[in-house]
Amino acid sequence: MSDRMLTMAEAVREAMSIAFDERPEVFLLGEDVGIYGGAFGVSGDMYHKYGADRVLDTPIAELGIVGAAVGAALSGMRPIVEIQFSDFTAQAMDQIANQAAKIHFMLGGALHVPMVLRTPQGSGTGAAAQHSQNLEPWFASVPGLKVVVPSNPADAKGLLLAAIDDPNPVIFLEHKLLYKIPGRDPVPEGSARIPLGVSKVVREGKDLTIVATGIMVNKCYEVAEKLAAEGITITLIDPRTISPLDMNPVFESVEKTGRLMVVQEGPAQAGFINEVIAQLAGSSSFGSLIAPIKRLAGMNIPIPYAPQLEKAAVPQIEDIETAAREIVKNWR
Amino acid sequence: MSFKYPVVMPKMSMTMETGELINFHVAVGQQVKSGDVLFEVMTDKIDMEVEAPADGVIESLVANPGDVVEIGKPVLIMLTETEVMAFDFGDDNEPVAAVEVVTPAPVVEAPVVAAPAPIIVNTNVKAVPKARVEAANRGIDLRTVHPTGPDRTITMQDVNGAQLDPAIIKRQEANKALIAKGIEMTRGIAQASFTRSVSANFDHAKFIAAWAKVLRNRPDLAAHEHVGVALIIESKYGSALPVFRDPDQSSYAALAALVASTTDAAKNGKVPVAMLSGATTTVFDLTSYSMSSATPLLFPNQVTSVTIGYESATTKIVSLTIDLNFCDFYDGALLLDALVASL
Repeated sequence: MSDRMLTMAEAVREAMSIAFDERPEVFLLGEDVGIYGGAFGVSGDMYHKYGADRVLDTPIAELGIVGAAVGAALSGMRPIVEIQFSDFTAQAMDQIANQAAKIHFMLGGALHVPMVLRTPQGSGTGAAAQHSQNLEPWFASVPGLKVVVPSNPADAKGLLLAAIDDPNPVIFLEHKLLYKIPGRDPVPEGSARIPLGVSKVVREGKDLTIVATGIMVNKCYEVAEKLAAEGITITLIDPRTISPLDMNPVFESVEKTGRLMVVQEGPAQAGFINEVIAQLAGSSSFGSLIAPIKRLAGMNIPIPYAPQLEKAAVPQIEDIETAAREIVKNWR
Repeated sequence: MSFKYPVVMPKMSMTMETGELINFHVAVGQQVKSGDVLFEVMTDKIDMEVEAPADGVIESLVANPGDVVEIGKPVLIMLTETEVMAFDFGDDNEPVAAVEVVTPAPVVEAPVVAAPAPIIVNTNVKAVPKARVEAANRGIDLRTVHPTGPDRTITMQDVNGAQLDPAIIKRQEANKALIAKGIEMTRGIAQASFTRSVSANFDHAKFIAAWAKVLRNRPDLAAHEHVGVALIIESKYGSALPVFRDPDQSSYAALAALVASTTDAAKNGKVPVAMLSGATTTVFDLTSYSMSSATPLLFPNQVTSVTIGYESATTKIVSLTIDLNFCDFYDGALLLDALVASL
């Protein structure tokens, strides 16, 4: 039964269903998550399986949705919030950043907020500037929040189960384009958790270390496969949890390869991936670098509507391939 | 700042008391490089060329060709700006204390040394981080490396293909030759070695103080007015042997500070001239190489030599070699026993 090739939408639904079955205090709320099955079909038939008490359709009021979830979490429930587009979390930011993230600390640890906020993000769907952002640095810069960015169905399942177990608020950012794509690896049966805060070494090579997040992990994987045929081998690291961030595999790998490239879809300026560069630059592994660090990230512009421009605004496979080849060839 | 450095009649065998100056190879005012032959000496056993211990200028010729000069007495004086790394084999009679150095530092205080060169020098050239580390480790001046990377940046390939700084190669070779020559002279001496395992915590300062104290109680073993412990320190320039005079007579804190500052200076290729002579025994610590023992080699004019070896995290191996002309096996065993006991 190890050959189950699920999409990320199916894997996330499976994780939620397992959590529903394990704990009666787990429930899902959000816009159109019930009868409609979710804007991207992630909750699917859960409304019919678990009923309206556990899969709650809410009004279009993000601040109210997250506020209700924070209150429920404080009262002993384990809510899973779905926000239709991560762009709309802006509406709910007071509840996320000022309430969920802070309550545990401001009440001396007396209460905690075991809430998971799932939300799709990213470009590539022609949905323009207000429905295409990658907002992980908003959340990663708020202490008190954990931030997960899964890149594939198997990780999404295990990480979401761990996020639901976690006593802290967890922001779970799913790239829309991954919802409909089966992963490279089968999704295991059962309820195994993948611990938060552990980076994954996706593949190992000796010439270049790439740290990539979300959908960029998949693009980088394709590049690594292609360049292996040219004799350039790449270590690809997926942090999976960007807060807390596990840098140890990055340090270890850079000490071997001497070259680092970081790739994210979100804008370069003040992007999360810069944290990887900063920590590397401040570590003793810095002395192992034999090349300047290469950063590939989105342009500092709102995502354009025109499909060609939308594509040009974020790193594509060809960009990654060219950059990877150049860094290895130019720096020996 | 130039130092006056007397080049003395060396002691070339255990029985040698005087040597005859055959001739000078240099004249007053002449620039010499480390390793250049300064003069030739004849004894009843061997003839030997004496080389410049450092780059410098000949200030004056003290002796005349044909003179019979006591060992340790100056033959010529040179002016040098180098704080030379090599050691000399002069005995305790030599007038090192009278040498004009920047500060005639008392043994108990940290000597004035030139500011140690930073490990990685900002040479104002572009280089990838690892190239800087590698260049520093190998003593390569990045300014001499041709950059082939983008924006004229020095890459690892450039550093790997670079030649070692010739000045460092020369110093390494000069040091090796000096030590080899010294060991060669003692090879024929009847000697014996003893080894003990020690489970005690000690650093170099504590060890050399303990060893000096043991030797001081046995003046019969070496007719010296002082105890001078040479500590072998390895650096990219080769081996340095700074001598700690009467380390048992200074406070632990002062000695530890002196050992630390001297070790740092030696690793950067600089040892104060005043600390380069007067050794009566030598200590070699092998623990950083994870080695348990080596034959402790007798240096000229010394009757004992000690190595510290690695056995386990908590135990070390101390080996002692003695010159059987001065002591018998029983003495050697007692010496090592006393050393271990005082640790």
